[in-house]
Amino acid sequence: MSKNTLIKIASLILMVVSFIAYIAGASAFPIASENLLPWSVWFLISVIINIVLWSNVMKLLTFSLAVIWFYAFVASLVPESSTAVNLTSLDWSDPDAVAEQGALVFNGKGQCSACHTVDTSAPKGRCPDLTDIGINAASRVPGMDGKTYLIESLYEPDKYLVPGYGKIMPEIWKAPIALSKLEIEAVIAYLQSQGGEIDPTPYDEPIDRADSAVAAAALPPLLTGDAEQGKKVFVSAACISCHAVQGIESPAAGATTTDFEVVTAPDLSEIAAFNDLRYLEESVLMPSAQIVSGYGAVTVSANGTTYQGTLVSQDTEQIVVRTKTADGVEEEHTILLSELDEEPIEELTDLQAKGYFTLTLTPTDADAPVTGEIVSETDETVTLKVNGEDKTFSKTDVKSQMTLIDFDDEEIVGEYVSGTMDDDEIVLIVDGSEEIFDPFDLNEATFTRASGKKLLVTSPMPENFPLLLSVSDMANLLSFLSTLTGATAEAVPAETDDASAE
Amino acid sequence: MKISKKRLYLIFACVLVAYAFLAIAPVFAQDATEAEYRPFPKIGSRNAAWIAAQLHLLFGSFILGVPMFAVIIEFIGWKTKDMRYDRMAQEFIKLCMGAFSTTALLGGVLVFILIWCYPKVMTKLSGIFGPTMIFYVVLFFGETFTLYLYSYGWDKMQGRHKGWHLFLGVLLNVFGTAIMFVSNAWLSYQTSPATQYGVLSEGRRKSWIEEKLAADPSLTPDTAMEGVTSHTMVPLHNETTGEFMGTVWDAVNNFTWMPVNIHRLVGNIAFGGSIVAAYAAFRFLVAKTKEDKAHYDWMGYTGNFIALCGLIPLPFLGYWLGREIYMFNNTMGINMMGSLFSWLFIIQAVMIGVLFIGANYYLWSGMGRIEGAEIYARYRPYMITVIVICVAIWMTPRTLSKISSASELSAMGGANHPHLGLFGLMTAKNTAVNIVILTTFLSFLFYRRSGKTPTASWGKVGNIAISSIFFLAVVSIVVIGIVGFTVPTDLRVNILTPYQVLVALAVMAVVTVVDIFMYRRATTSGTINWGEMTDRSQYVLILIAITFTSLMGLMGYARSGLREAWHIFGVMQDTSADAFTPLLSEAVNIVAIIMVVFFALVGFIFWLGLWGEKKKQDAAATAETAVTAEGDD
Repeated sequence: MSKNTLIKIASLILMVVSFIAYIAGASAFPIASENLLPWSVWFLISVIINIVLWSNVMKLLTFSLAVIWFYAFVASLVPESSTAVNLTSLDWSDPDAVAEQGALVFNGKGQCSACHTVDTSAPKGRCPDLTDIGINAASRVPGMDGKTYLIESLYEPDKYLVPGYGKIMPEIWKAPIALSKLEIEAVIAYLQSQGGEIDPTPYDEPIDRADSAVAAAALPPLLTGDAEQGKKVFVSAACISCHAVQGIESPAAGATTTDFEVVTAPDLSEIAAFNDLRYLEESVLMPSAQIVSGYGAVTVSANGTTYQGTLVSQDTEQIVVRTKTADGVEEEHTILLSELDEEPIEELTDLQAKGYFTLTLTPTDADAPVTGEIVSETDETVTLKVNGEDKTFSKTDVKSQMTLIDFDDEEIVGEYVSGTMDDDEIVLIVDGSEEIFDPFDLNEATFTRASGKKLLVTSPMPENFPLLLSVSDMANLLSFLSTLTGATAEAVPAETDDASAE
Repeated sequence: MKISKKRLYLIFACVLVAYAFLAIAPVFAQDATEAEYRPFPKIGSRNAAWIAAQLHLLFGSFILGVPMFAVIIEFIGWKTKDMRYDRMAQEFIKLCMGAFSTTALLGGVLVFILIWCYPKVMTKLSGIFGPTMIFYVVLFFGETFTLYLYSYGWDKMQGRHKGWHLFLGVLLNVFGTAIMFVSNAWLSYQTSPATQYGVLSEGRRKSWIEEKLAADPSLTPDTAMEGVTSHTMVPLHNETTGEFMGTVWDAVNNFTWMPVNIHRLVGNIAFGGSIVAAYAAFRFLVAKTKEDKAHYDWMGYTGNFIALCGLIPLPFLGYWLGREIYMFNNTMGINMMGSLFSWLFIIQAVMIGVLFIGANYYLWSGMGRIEGAEIYARYRPYMITVIVICVAIWMTPRTLSKISSASELSAMGGANHPHLGLFGLMTAKNTAVNIVILTTFLSFLFYRRSGKTPTASWGKVGNIAISSIFFLAVVSIVVIGIVGFTVPTDLRVNILTPYQVLVALAVMAVVTVVDIFMYRRATTSGTINWGEMTDRSQYVLILIAITFTSLMGLMGYARSGLREAWHIFGVMQDTSADAFTPLLSEAVNIVAIIMVVFFALVGFIFWLGLWGEKKKQDAAATAETAVTAEGDD
């Protein structure tokens, strides 16, 4: 066989192998731990060689394969990540910031900008232009204020239609868009900011999310990937530093170059045997959504001392927190819940989600503060167990306190009457008499509506972990996790038993 | 020891069979009773069904598209008495015979995979579409025997029986098209299990109103009908229980059935033409004689012409299908064009751009073999500039909100580019598409006129009229496009865009008629030198065929992906482990695998055809030698 023929055959084999490897997403060919050129480059090189060396049929085959590869390659270059805004809280002390978050939802997860424009000079969209909707909303339906109109338009879009536009807006709180209440609140703030004033007053959702929540829970994850690749991600993304998986060797302490603190985390060898894909996906994307007992991180303060560590156990009266000193010594602290310090609360929203389990507030019609365990809450009310009885209090009818710090760093505390740092004056009742302060003379004003004891358990897993992975890495990782059923470990003794039976 | 080629193939086949057996072995360990889903070994149910369905669809398109092509060509041959056309049509029907059994085989594989992996879905679908399945079988028998008669009767039914033979060809296409319509009903129903009130069965009308009254006790039979028009969308299932409430015809005549039918029908014509052209290009490149080159050059041109005829209306039909999807479910429409699949349609625009640029390039190359065509060469730079600009507009992304990060959105100044985003709107894209189509039509017009001089006394006036028509049409299309930016979407979608399309279609119809009359008695200043084409132009034909096939593969992904996690959208959820929407980069890899398998199988069928042909030629040559020898004796 001539040298030329050998080169031709080798080039042909390289083309086919590199095409298959590219499509299969194989890692670049490693030699002595050094990855060589990616398969796409090998493929291109072999295509060029083939086209030069071969003639007719083989040249045609090369050309055909190159075209097929080209389309696959181009499509793999386009962005396809879903980096939707995921709001967990809104800071109503800065309404403009809330509106900015609303703008992100409007242009992002909410897909509103797919149909609506907020620019009169822009081409007309499929749905009405929302320039100055902050003012115009109040005049759309006679007798209906602007905020109510926006709430109705967002939750029940078909109730009132702008003349000339059809019933095409989806119910954004339902799948597939599925905005949370916080996200819709932010969008409303953004819409109000379009020429109007932002009204932070809480509202009740005019819909029942229960049905759609059941449906959403049944939806499977959107991603999938290659389990073998996922295994590599599991190691390279330092998951193995904290989580054990049977069959994967954990690196020696200090051997990994990770920015994260290495902590003890649940063994994942059988994670997929007891959990579905949705749980796995949620655990990676939102580590704090569900925390395995004994692995949550807490920061609590009791009797003036702050404890930061792992929540080892918890009952109705006490918690056990394991902390680690700077030199690595572990200590366990038993803390009575009653000994936890009360923390000031600025906004009475989502109290339970924030970890509060007791609350102290002063209703406007009472002189003394009321303290009780939080039983339940809505957007407008909170129910406390006070002296064994459930009592419901309005979240808005609460005497609030404001702490002002002037230019001399002196602190003034009083009952709040009116005004913010953006207004001309702030009025407080200090020592029984009403006093007026000029925000110009102040450094800071802190608003306190109530105080409460808080126990918020979070996952020690880094929150920005999903951002460190590419979309395909994430898909591969999930696929790998879904294979961890512990089946391999069980299969070995079963076979041994069969053998001994024979 | 030297191993013969045959033995090598046998060993290879044995290894393949052994591997396949080992791969499916775990299936036998599965509990197969009463399961909703059963996993397909190694590649997963979704991928298995996807690959089988797409291959079946591609072969289906081939055996539907090629007979259409064959009948048209046979008819032209009959009318012009040019036997070249007749021979070419026969050649392709022979290839169809091989592809026909492969299509049936792949259909069988698909059904087995579906029944095995998705028993619950198949039970539900067969419960609704049972009667149509019987109809499908009857049609399949009809198509099979008509194809046998059409193919084996070709030589016998020449001369005075040619009309009957052509009738068989038409009948074959009627059967084939009807089969496609039936199977389209099954898949389009999964996407849009609803229909319009105006075409709804009486029974479903009643049950729907009863559901409305039960859901809202404040309604009366009269008030429940407020706002209901003949276009109102009515789901075919009880919205609470999910039970199918309509008739078989309601399910068949669902929202997207007819747009899918027409889109696929025309798509098959274009696909068939492009595959024929690719086959001709392959034969051209390997041809040894001038005669062969001339024959396959001519075949390639004819195939490409038919493909172009199908390609031109396809964007309009795709637009209609898209509009119906929006009307059925706006969120699905937004997901398609402005969200999850935004980039897929940009990739689609890239592919369609390649198709149009390739088709124009081939026509311009073809003019090189016509003496006297040089006078049109000066227009090419302008035409390619127009096409490239229009394709660039078509490829402009818009509303990438769901697939862009907050920082990307912020950098762009919103969900669209602040300036170029304007071109991403449908009004700009529709304008670009119409201009590309008119430019391609102009290329064809130049090709048709090449080497001819009109003798009609009104030739100059005719040319001025045609130029004016083109000019006015482009101005109208652009003006309508600009107005489209300023009017509500409803007006644009339902009135302006159809007007744009009508203008383009009207120009093509009127100019064709004028041109035919103008060049009826034209003098020929140069002949067409068939076979004098560059190899490059033949590669373009192959590029067009692969692009067309890849495009169909991509659209298969879009059609399935649009349902997201639903077997039947909004009615029956996919709760299997494979219920995911693959990323575009993963989907195109699967499409690439499908392309390779498809072209390998098609290549094999073509090779079989060549093999048989060669054997026949050898036998004829041997017989001729024998006769000559006898004569010498």
